Amino acid sequence: MRRRIIQFLLALAVVMIPIGAIATVSHMTKQEQPVTTQAPSSQEYESKSFTEMLVNFWKQTGIYAILNPQEGVKNARGDEITPFQQSVGRVIMIAITFVLFYLAIAKGFEPLLLIPIGFGGLLANIPLANIIGDGGFIGELFKAGIENELFPILIFMGVGAMTDFGPLLANPKTALLGAAAQFGIFGTLVGAVALSQLGIFDFSLQDAAAISIIGGADGPTTVFIASKLAPDLLGAMAVAAYSYMALVPVIQPPIMKALTTPEERRIRMTTKRKVSQLEKMLFPLTVLLLTILILPESSPLIGALTFGNFVRESKVVERLSKTLQNELINIVTIFLGLSVGSKLAAEYFLVPETLGILLLGLVAFSIGTAAGVIMGKIMNKFSKEPINPLIGAAGVSAVPMAARVANRVGMEEDPTNVLLMHAMGPNVAGVIGSAVAAGVYLSIF
Amino acid sequence: MIIEAIKYMFLGMGIVFLFLYLMVVVLEWQHKLLLKYFPEHFEEEKPKSDRRERLKKVAAITAALHHMRNS
Repeated sequence: MRRRIIQFLLALAVVMIPIGAIATVSHMTKQEQPVTTQAPSSQEYESKSFTEMLVNFWKQTGIYAILNPQEGVKNARGDEITPFQQSVGRVIMIAITFVLFYLAIAKGFEPLLLIPIGFGGLLANIPLANIIGDGGFIGELFKAGIENELFPILIFMGVGAMTDFGPLLANPKTALLGAAAQFGIFGTLVGAVALSQLGIFDFSLQDAAAISIIGGADGPTTVFIASKLAPDLLGAMAVAAYSYMALVPVIQPPIMKALTTPEERRIRMTTKRKVSQLEKMLFPLTVLLLTILILPESSPLIGALTFGNFVRESKVVERLSKTLQNELINIVTIFLGLSVGSKLAAEYFLVPETLGILLLGLVAFSIGTAAGVIMGKIMNKFSKEPINPLIGAAGVSAVPMAARVANRVGMEEDPTNVLLMHAMGPNVAGVIGSAVAAGVYLSIF
Repeated sequence: MIIEAIKYMFLGMGIVFLFLYLMVVVLEWQHKLLLKYFPEHFEEEKPKSDRRERLKKVAAITAALHHMRNS
């Protein structure tokens, strides 16, 4: 399987590299002699020779469009595309989408999201087709659900219906670990602003805030905040958020191990109390009530989350709960993925800011993990029951991957120490925490 | 602008902690309240095995065995 994929990628490279090379060369020659403007087209129909028809058709092909980028062209959304982005840029982006496919299929990194996002990116980079513009189907999807922040909210309903808050209810204190991990968000805000101040990147305060939300490790929240605060950066931010979520098992363990001693990793946590169905049912209502009282700005996200969870825990609308957990979230994921992918178009992605976003996103993620673990150590010192600091790393949302990672790192030290259910507490609290952080940003800006 | 960002950091972390801390307090309190007024929701579903029930079971098993041997 893997060999075949590599062969396929090699074959692809054989096709792509020459096109890229030709495009680069023609792009370089084009810059020396700027293209003259096209002759004004006449309204009347003129009979054309067959050669003319062929030439016209040739000008409508993708090869022609990639080889002959033009100055001052605008895409269907009215944004300018530089000749570089029209030619080499498109080829690079198409190659990047194939890398996303590879990661999703061969490596199993968040395939549910990377496949739609990657394919959206592929479609977005087709020259002349304008699929992402007005009237193009992805453009229309984008307007229908991303511009007005509808899709992330719908995803949150599904997440609510899929999440069992029982582990959190059994040991509510662990929610504080989910709060500490949000330091990844706010710490990175300071970092991003400092870097802009030093002149390394050029981010406004709003851009910096939007980028830092990647540290919450929550896809829908990131898309929600990005489309509100920094719509231009949406593509790179979503790609960063989803790829880092997929890379949780790679990024987190070194940080967790660096900050804890083997003794701390071996700490066993006491078994948890029973959680009644009544408690589970009241939980979404309680959280929503707190949101209403303290931070109404985050009630779109938390409202959707608690609605989904209430549908699940009320136990009387099994059909709705199943729909939220399966059909609705799947359909919306397809739409969200494709629309987010449209921001992988060369004119939006191949900008210097992307590099900064990928970098800051990683920093945000690492700070969040570290803050969670450190908070776990502090709580272990002061709490009556022992708390394994590893579960603090699960405080970044990324449900349930982060909890599984905490469990695995704990098992490496002591194979009989099962931390999974304990780690789920901070994990689901992290979802609420990042939604609260998003609400803070919305209330500031 | 960095000072501004640091202010936002303290504000943000403060609100996140306040929110989740309040949530912890409310949940503990809710648990106590539920335990007080709806204790039946928290009882373990133990198999009810008083003496008479057990005797009935023994009788049923003996009857079944007899039935099997005789037939």
